Amino acid sequence: MVTPMNCPLETPETADVLLDYATRRLAPDRAAILERHMEICPACRRFADEQRAVWSALDGWETAPVPADFDRRLYRRIEGEGSWRERWFSPFRLLLAYRGVPAAAAACLVIAATLLVQHPSKPAPVPAPPEMATVEVQPEQVEKALDAMDLISEFNHKVRSEKPESKL
Amino acid sequence: MAALDFDAELMLRVREGDGASFGVLLDKHRSSVVHFLFRMVQNHAVAEELAQEVFLRVYRSRATYEPTAKFTTWLFRIATHLALNALRDGRHDRSQERLDDDSGDLPVRQVSDTRPNVEQAMLSEARLEEIRRAIAALPEKQRAAVLMHKYEEMEYSQIAKVLNCSESAVKSLLFRAYEALRARLAHMA
Repeated sequence: MVTPMNCPLETPETADVLLDYATRRLAPDRAAILERHMEICPACRRFADEQRAVWSALDGWETAPVPADFDRRLYRRIEGEGSWRERWFSPFRLLLAYRGVPAAAAACLVIAATLLVQHPSKPAPVPAPPEMATVEVQPEQVEKALDAMDLISEFNHKVRSEKPESKL
Repeated sequence: MAALDFDAELMLRVREGDGASFGVLLDKHRSSVVHFLFRMVQNHAVAEELAQEVFLRVYRSRATYEPTAKFTTWLFRIATHLALNALRDGRHDRSQERLDDDSGDLPVRQVSDTRPNVEQAMLSEARLEEIRRAIAALPEKQRAAVLMHKYEEMEYSQIAKVLNCSESAVKSLLFRAYEALRARLAHMA
């Protein structure tokens, strides 16, 4: 007895069963259920028929064979790349030949980094702003200055009252 | 951990310096990569150039290769990435020229002088061009999904990994793509 199914075209989650059926990738038991459904669903039947037609049309698209020199060109590029790398890395090859050298260099780097972390160099002292000159001020000097300011103020007042038009 | 696929094992041997294993991988996947790229960009010269780049990248990555996915997933991820870049760079423009010329991408066929065969050949060429145009008209990701589904017979999950999207997104891509293809090609039954 084949269990009925919901229409795959109306349930997007199961629509792939139609694709799988048309491309002959659906398991036989599920295909049987779908075929039973298609007996009463012309939309699904049409979908499957059209999809099969597309599938067989795509079968007709053959492509040309790969050129015979494909591998030769690839290996030439690989070799070319190898020689390019050799040219660039050859100066370091001698260094790398002595296994102790890279290890010693790495150890030096680690020690230097440790020293830097433990004793960070003191920041350069920020130049202090030039100190303000401290001048001792005597009370008499202050009184004289205040007197002078009063005199100037009086003088200005008189000048203004004598020449009112000058304001214009 | 799942057992390694044979290709991944070969690639691990390449990582260990076994050049012959690279040759085996190349032999096994050369055609599918070139054909996939040709169907993507629809230009032989560009497809071959891209396929060379794919295998060059595989070789370059040998030292850091880790078999985290199927080898073919990784291979087609590289191929798809390069094809999509080529299409976006405009190298596909040449594909239209290619479609219009009459050199064809099929192996040369022996066509006799009898009229029905000439007509058949012309009809076949017209159908082929219609297929090429229908595929070329698909959005890039839909095109890649259809080509992997149809010609590489990949599962939805594998296509999803190649395209870096969910399996349901792949089903949706394929559904829309085949809908467009049905509209253009269903009459060819």
